[in-house]
Amino acid sequence: MKTYIAQRLGIGLLTLLGMSIVIFGMLRLAPGDIVDILFSTGGYVNPSERAAIEKELGLDRPVWVQYVEWLRQIVTGDLGKSYRYDLPAWEIIRPLIPVTLELAVLSLIVSVVLGVPLGVISAVRQDTGLDYVLRVFSLAGLSMPSFWLGMVIILSLVAWFGWIPPVTYVSPRENFLLHCVQFALPSLAVGYRSSALIMRITRSSLLEVMREDYIRTARAKGQSGRIVIWRHALKNAILPVVTVIGIEFAFLIGGLVVTETVFNLPGLARFLVEAILWRDYPIVQNLVMFIAIVVILSNLFVDMLYGFLDPRVRYGH
Amino acid sequence: MATRPLGVEVPAVAMALRRPGAWTVLARFCRKKPLGAIGGFLMLVILFTAVFANQLQTHDPIATDAGQSLARPGADHWLGSDHLGRDIYSRIVHGARVSLIVGLASTLLGSVLGGIIGLLSGYVGGKTDLITQRVMDILQGLPLLVLALVMSAALGPSIPNVVIAISIPIIPRAARVIRASVLSIREMQYVEAARAVGLRHLRIAFRHILPNTIGPFIVLCTAQLGSAILVEAALSFLGLGVPEPYPSWGRMLSVSAAEYAQKAPWLVLFPGLAISLAVFGSNLLGDALRDTLDPRLRGA
Amino acid sequence: MERSRIFAVAVSLCLGVVVASVTPSSAQAPKNGGHLNLMQREELSQGFAIHETSTIATSFPSLPCFNNLVVFDQTKRAETVDNLVGELAEKWSWQDNYRNLVFFLRKDVKWHDGQPFTSKDVKFTFDMVREAPEAAGKLRLNPRKDWYTNVEKIEAPDPYTVVFHLKRPQPGLLVMLASGYSPVYAAHVNPATYRTGCIGTGPFKLKEWRKGEFVDYVKNPDYFMKGRPYLDSLRYVIIKERGTRTAALQAGQLDVSFPGETTKTAAEQLKKAVPGLVITPVAQAVSDNIIMNTKKPPFDNPKVRLAVSYAIDRRALISAVHQGGAVPGASQQPKPYGVWGLLEKDLLALPGYGKPADMKAQAKKLLAEAGITPQNPLRVEMATRAIAMYVDLASFVINELKQVGIEATLKQVETAQWHPMATRGEYQIGANLTGLGVDEPDANYYENYACGSPRNYSQYCSEEVMKMIEQQSQELNAQKRFALVATLQKKVEAESARPLLDWRLDYFTVWPHVKNLVPHDNIYNFGRMADVWRDK
Repeated sequence: MKTYIAQRLGIGLLTLLGMSIVIFGMLRLAPGDIVDILFSTGGYVNPSERAAIEKELGLDRPVWVQYVEWLRQIVTGDLGKSYRYDLPAWEIIRPLIPVTLELAVLSLIVSVVLGVPLGVISAVRQDTGLDYVLRVFSLAGLSMPSFWLGMVIILSLVAWFGWIPPVTYVSPRENFLLHCVQFALPSLAVGYRSSALIMRITRSSLLEVMREDYIRTARAKGQSGRIVIWRHALKNAILPVVTVIGIEFAFLIGGLVVTETVFNLPGLARFLVEAILWRDYPIVQNLVMFIAIVVILSNLFVDMLYGFLDPRVRYGH
Repeated sequence: MATRPLGVEVPAVAMALRRPGAWTVLARFCRKKPLGAIGGFLMLVILFTAVFANQLQTHDPIATDAGQSLARPGADHWLGSDHLGRDIYSRIVHGARVSLIVGLASTLLGSVLGGIIGLLSGYVGGKTDLITQRVMDILQGLPLLVLALVMSAALGPSIPNVVIAISIPIIPRAARVIRASVLSIREMQYVEAARAVGLRHLRIAFRHILPNTIGPFIVLCTAQLGSAILVEAALSFLGLGVPEPYPSWGRMLSVSAAEYAQKAPWLVLFPGLAISLAVFGSNLLGDALRDTLDPRLRGA
Repeated sequence: MERSRIFAVAVSLCLGVVVASVTPSSAQAPKNGGHLNLMQREELSQGFAIHETSTIATSFPSLPCFNNLVVFDQTKRAETVDNLVGELAEKWSWQDNYRNLVFFLRKDVKWHDGQPFTSKDVKFTFDMVREAPEAAGKLRLNPRKDWYTNVEKIEAPDPYTVVFHLKRPQPGLLVMLASGYSPVYAAHVNPATYRTGCIGTGPFKLKEWRKGEFVDYVKNPDYFMKGRPYLDSLRYVIIKERGTRTAALQAGQLDVSFPGETTKTAAEQLKKAVPGLVITPVAQAVSDNIIMNTKKPPFDNPKVRLAVSYAIDRRALISAVHQGGAVPGASQQPKPYGVWGLLEKDLLALPGYGKPADMKAQAKKLLAEAGITPQNPLRVEMATRAIAMYVDLASFVINELKQVGIEATLKQVETAQWHPMATRGEYQIGANLTGLGVDEPDANYYENYACGSPRNYSQYCSEEVMKMIEQQSQELNAQKRFALVATLQKKVEAESARPLLDWRLDYFTVWPHVKNLVPHDNIYNFGRMADVWRDK
């Protein structure tokens, strides 16, 4: 087991390294850099001032030198300085992390609470009207752009009630109730979308399990139908669901980009867009690497969980 | 005439054994998978709209008309007009073209490239496979939208660039699916037979294995098409997608739509509905195709 | 006993009458205390470093922190010389026939960190901005260096006197110093620190700038204007998403709109939803204009340029692009919003204002003289910034040009690329917006029309026009100067290097409990917030 984890982490590290090269390269491909944007806020261009700022930010050095410098900084724990804000990148990123993580976790909870029971019901009542309705409902969730859903929610609220959730972040310590209100709607919006996938997988894996012989045997043995389903089927059906939950968590972050923008939540997904638009390389690089680490770790965690839940699967051979 | 040793009516047997015509297959599909049929129908409508956009439009989609600013849906503007007086219906009709082109192009590009990579990687195996898998991991380690965001910013706003930006995250996903399919087929007997006969690897790969991955490939494409359309909408919404003057459903939702939404809710409703229906149709169709083409996954 | 009591009552009555007559007859007396939430359209671009940016995204949320030498009265709408009031300067006077500008500074001003304010700070700031050789500070970016090219030397003979020595008379300098873009920095602080924080002398102290979220201010208890500010605190809430910020204003989470952000249609919608909102239409000092590369064909030909100006129906543009929320004008903001606006009859004589059919015919005629006909159309690329405001404008213009035989395709340019592209002349024709820091011809013409100015995107250079600019800059007689500026406006429209299309209006919106926040006809010069109070 330990070797397996070590192996996976090792591969993960390699992947991160590769990704860092890709991101670093792509950003510098982008037309325009921070200096261009700074000048655009000044409304003019001046070549000598430009050269001075490039030197100050270290942008005049060859690309590979900058890359090595960045790696060296990461290894020593220094995430560099934001080009835009002239402050350490970590200082700027740190307060964003809890917001996004909270939103991601809440969305995941919503998606599981919504998805799993609906999947079960749909499987049990397979091919009935209810099944179709639920499948259409969940598919609608997968089909709607999440930013549209968010926009419609906010606009409806302000049109009908003259009220919208707070546009400034309310921390749970400040006002717990308001904080919950603020996070409820975005979590629902994102969670609805993720729940669709989870519902589908729950349904399909449950259906597959229910066809298994041992279920029929258990039924024949006389245990009441419902207990049969809940005890035997669900336990075995849960495995693919866990996998999907893990994958979904990582990819929730994609949906968070637009949701945080629409609901004005100060998370790192929203900040990423801003940083990309400003060509604030240190921030973008660090945020992207952070997301990648979250993805890799959550995949690993899910595989571990899979191994734990299914005695048939054992790693490290 | 030859003798008929079996004593059965040949015509009847022949009819029973004859391969069913295309229409029969279609009818059977519609009956068995009504949701899939609806999905297919939706996609056909959108395809039709995209192809015949110029004929279906009622106004020039980029022509402004000050007197008709924020007009309600009615006889003149079927779905209303925006703050510049542009007809929403015509813009949605042309937006279908953009969304479909971008969605299809990026899906096909990504799926084909990824498919080839997956095919070769799965077939050759060994070190090549290992390295390719690691490279695919790198591209897949980021959520679709995040990677598309960075790529789109890197390349700049234009339709070809958006297509490339969205296709790149699709490549690893396609590669993974095709590779899995290849791995399962590779061990089958007829492949062993082909190798025993001495056929060259490339020939085996393309002539024997590839046709059997078509099923998963189609399923993959329809699944990714929905995602591609959504990502394009999100990119346009964030300002990094298809540039003006091409009407894009996503961009119709950014900027002025939300600002004037209370006076003119149709600005927000219709483009969003259009996106949802397109993705919905693609998902329905994709599900039904998967059920039909890959019986092992039936029920999902 | 009785007489002294009667006397006391009489005196109190008299005093009461005197006091009542002296107090302005506004309905209510200002109340102390309270907090306001103001809309902030986007994240501050360079923090509070006003001298290093040209965008309202920095100036509006930074104004409460700073003071100028002089400002335009924050309680009056019009920005005229009569409405100039002193902030850090108690008195000022022109000497030696408008060659020297002397400021007598207040003695009771302290920086937010406790240090006393002196003339050293003024000299430090403006030497730095004009990039004097002896300047003690240096700016990383310096967009308004050109405002001060006429300053020979800045002297600080004693701690409370500053003298601007000019090379030649320039009455306009005083007005430029009143702009929101001319705050006074502290000499004892590194100018770079303004990018992350703010040490000013203003009515509010910076409490916190949470990046991407908000800017918090608290009342400055040592503000030199006794009794001000009335408010306890301010918060500028950063909301990038347009729909969300309109909804926030409507729902009351924001008390004040962002200058320049509320269009006519949006204002109507807001008023319908919340009838109590106070909406004040003002001009923004932001104009729509067309830039053309005068150094390359086809726009090196003045006839072709003029044809473009004729082709664009100004009134139709205002209706189509702004739904009526803009006004026609030449290169200076038109009356009654600007002091230097052309007279009605002069304005109507300019290209684009007559009957649309006649104007288009005139355009075609000019193009024909340049060899451009329906059989031989002109194909160009119209560049514009990849922002909705710009794109809407460009789309309309393209439509207009199509009708006279100019086929223009739209090319969107990302923000970061716009200025380099324009400055390097890598474009043919473009749709542009320009904000003017202050309604002063010197600021306008040196920036946008002077030979070699980095913001003269058309790269237009005319000896004659330069002479006219210099002449009006030195003219001391107000009427004569007005006439000179009028002639200059007509001249540049005739040269058509940068035809003016319209001047935008803003429908500045506040909730009714926000009192005494008076918008100006210029988005950059109001928002000090010292006189604003909140009616609970």
